[in-house]
Amino acid sequence: MSVTAVTRSTTPVSTRQDWGGSSFPQQVWVLTGRSMQALKDPRLLVMSLLQPLIMLTLFSQVFKGMAYAPGFPRGVDYIDYLMPAILVTTGSQAAMWAGAGLANDLKNGALARFRSLPISMFSLLTARSVFDTVRNIIQLSTLLLGAVVLFGFGPSGGVAGTVAALVLALIVGWGLSWLFMALGVWVRNLEVMQMIGMVAVFPLMFASNAFAPLESLPGWLQAIAKVNPLSYAINGSRGLALGDLELTPIFWAVVISGIIALLGGFAAGRGIRKP
Amino acid sequence: MNDLMIDAVDVTRTFGDVTALDRVSLRVPRGTVTALLGHNGAGKTTLVNVLSTVLAADGGSARVAGFDVAAEGHRVRARIGLTGQFASVDEQLTGTRNLVLIARLLGAGKREANRRAAELLELFDLADAAGRKVSTYSGGMKRRLDLAASLVGHPDVVFLDEPTTGLDPTSRLGMWEIVERLVDDGTTVLLTTQYLEEADRLADAVTVLSKGQVVAAGSAAELKANVGQRTVALTVTDADDVPAALRALRAAGFDPIHEGSHRAITIPVEAANALATVVRALDTAGAEVAELALHEPTLDDVYLTLTHQAAA
Repeated sequence: MSVTAVTRSTTPVSTRQDWGGSSFPQQVWVLTGRSMQALKDPRLLVMSLLQPLIMLTLFSQVFKGMAYAPGFPRGVDYIDYLMPAILVTTGSQAAMWAGAGLANDLKNGALARFRSLPISMFSLLTARSVFDTVRNIIQLSTLLLGAVVLFGFGPSGGVAGTVAALVLALIVGWGLSWLFMALGVWVRNLEVMQMIGMVAVFPLMFASNAFAPLESLPGWLQAIAKVNPLSYAINGSRGLALGDLELTPIFWAVVISGIIALLGGFAAGRGIRKP
Repeated sequence: MNDLMIDAVDVTRTFGDVTALDRVSLRVPRGTVTALLGHNGAGKTTLVNVLSTVLAADGGSARVAGFDVAAEGHRVRARIGLTGQFASVDEQLTGTRNLVLIARLLGAGKREANRRAAELLELFDLADAAGRKVSTYSGGMKRRLDLAASLVGHPDVVFLDEPTTGLDPTSRLGMWEIVERLVDDGTTVLLTTQYLEEADRLADAVTVLSKGQVVAAGSAAELKANVGQRTVALTVTDADDVPAALRALRAAGFDPIHEGSHRAITIPVEAANALATVVRALDTAGAEVAELALHEPTLDDVYLTLTHQAAA
């Protein structure tokens, strides 16, 4: 077979009625719609709203005594201290679920078909990210509402400060979700992903200033908590909610989230084409 | 209109130490069906994955629908349909939603996507199940929906990877009819199969793969003529006539085989007109024949001969 024969037919006579393909935003829109189907399952919706509320109830009651710990800000209710941190940790847990969800979705036959369609596989990751962010907004808003109604959450930062704290938690969750999506793409196993989530996220949650002031932690834990990126996010979120604005932790939380998103997005984009 | 819709030259792909494809070349003209025949692990699926741009080749080149699979993957994907061994559909969505999703991703508007979905569901006899979740479908229904999904964009080239494996005979027949209809419409089809009957029935050309290499290529008839062996099978009425019959056949230049059933004789022959010579020889021996038949070689014979040669 000669090389000329190979390059001969360069203008294919197409019999297909050409829809002209879809743009990247169109792909993201359609694929996000596909993911949104999951939210229509009332069981899943109720459970995903109930879970953080239960966590909030347990943490706020079990760790109530922390309000008397050394270094606890004077005159602040424990719920007002805890809630901004819960926003960040719940957002991070959601990121872990994004990775697990993606790993699970990759087993779905539909994904195999997407690889043979003229679409960007990155649109699939973006759609997943949009979906998870929407779900996170719903979850965190419900959580805030629950905290206000059930536990009298009313930080001195007011509504504006609380909303800003929520947005920061969303940014951190979004950044982390790309890291977990990259892991999900390469691991492709729901159980392993859940284990990674447990092993990575829970220690990060507790080895931080989420539930108690840094000063009350044992020395070695303090050392970890100080460099834990979640501590920055929690400090930032807490500062916003309590009206005690500190820009440095917010800056670092956003920058670190952005870097993680960039690296995770790159790794996930490379891995998702693999059949 | 005899341009090549698939033109693969020396395609090579390895997975670690395993060479899945070893300099495989394949040419499929427009509007024809080519069957890739081979055992599990022969490289059929790998070749389909390379041609459908799902996998990158390590060596060689391939053009599908006129575009290079490595450099112009996006344009190739716009013109192909792929139906893999496992139903590539979303079990959590309804049949309609599955097809609409694909049409929308191909750029169709909402109304157009719905119209195309309805049309295909009707064509594949799934209209009644259109609104049901795919998880409630039977295996045959999933396969039909999967094939429908690969046809949403009116592809020029359709890859069918073992489309009828695991289907009951009726569903298999239905799948064959659909493939025939596709070809009538001018679509080019590359199908992989382990069923020789399927290749025989559907394919204009057959390529036999063994251990990642092409061991034979041609029309089913050519392969049978070149590799297969015609045989005459006969049964004599009286077992006592067998020695005389064997002697007469050897005298006529044949190499008769007498084994198994004691009244049966098998004679490998070169051409169909050898039948007359056989009859004359038996007449001379005075052997009374109860049954006499000329057997054309089947693709099974061809396949077994070729893969055996390749393995040796």
